[in-house]
Amino acid sequence: MADFSWNTQSPLQKALVAGRHGVASAQAGVTLVEVRDLVLVQVMARRGKAADTAKAAKKLFGVDAPSTPKAVAGKTATLVWSGPDQFTVLAPRTDESSQIDAMSQAFSGSASLSDQSDGRCLIRVSGPRGRDAIAKFSSLDLHDAAFPVGAAANTAVDHTAVNFYREANGADGHPVYSMLVFTSFADSLWHTIVDSSLEYGVDTSRTRAAA
Amino acid sequence: MRIACPFCGERENGEFTYLGDASPKRPNFAVDSGESPERVEDAFYDYVYLRDNVAGFMREYWYHGGGCRSWLIAERNTVTHEFRSVTAAPGVGASKPVQAGE
Repeated sequence: MADFSWNTQSPLQKALVAGRHGVASAQAGVTLVEVRDLVLVQVMARRGKAADTAKAAKKLFGVDAPSTPKAVAGKTATLVWSGPDQFTVLAPRTDESSQIDAMSQAFSGSASLSDQSDGRCLIRVSGPRGRDAIAKFSSLDLHDAAFPVGAAANTAVDHTAVNFYREANGADGHPVYSMLVFTSFADSLWHTIVDSSLEYGVDTSRTRAAA
Repeated sequence: MRIACPFCGERENGEFTYLGDASPKRPNFAVDSGESPERVEDAFYDYVYLRDNVAGFMREYWYHGGGCRSWLIAERNTVTHEFRSVTAAPGVGASKPVQAGE
């Protein structure tokens, strides 16, 4: 039998062509980044164990887990609300198995965990016109008053389920939005975002999750 | 039409799926409880098939599949599409116990 090995590759391997697309003005209106090397775990409290789950999260991450649609930055991970009594843990990958072991122990008996590290793709949209590009395909109200830094939403964009949240503003002072999408839909969503951004000029790249 | 999900806030109706009337309750009976088979059959016929055609407010099941994936119960005016209330269906979320009979 032929030797056979699986290679991991980005779901955006083909779609992401790094560089400038669309209008070639001096400054790109939109910056589009695929964030790689994440550990991503869905935490779902078990029936009657919501309080225990919150306590375990506080102990492990040093912050209160979000109980409303918000993204909260903890010690080693960002916790993003993903439904009643459930949230997603996002951490830069260091040593995946020990990271997941630590969570398994912390939430033992209180919550069910599901490793989604390679099941989702994280796409980050920023730049002065990032919000305008998103407005073309999302029905969310992204006004600062309605969707401030730290806000999160489970929503459907372009008929695709997305965990959407807003990070701290970029160095340029403009908002930064992150979208977690199922890997098999990442290619399609990526094209949607790029197409929506062409008129503003878009810089695309991939990066490693910051530790 | 926009629906105010109790978890997510106001969203477009494309994120939701309509199930139907939230009023029917499953008939409660035990096998060999002595209940006449005709009455049980009638009760199930009612439960499964018979629906009121309400002109005005009715309680309905909606599913927020494009968002928090929770079942909701909404009071909607079938004439004007006005929503009077939208609440989580019994058993949604881990902190709420499941109600008997639901």
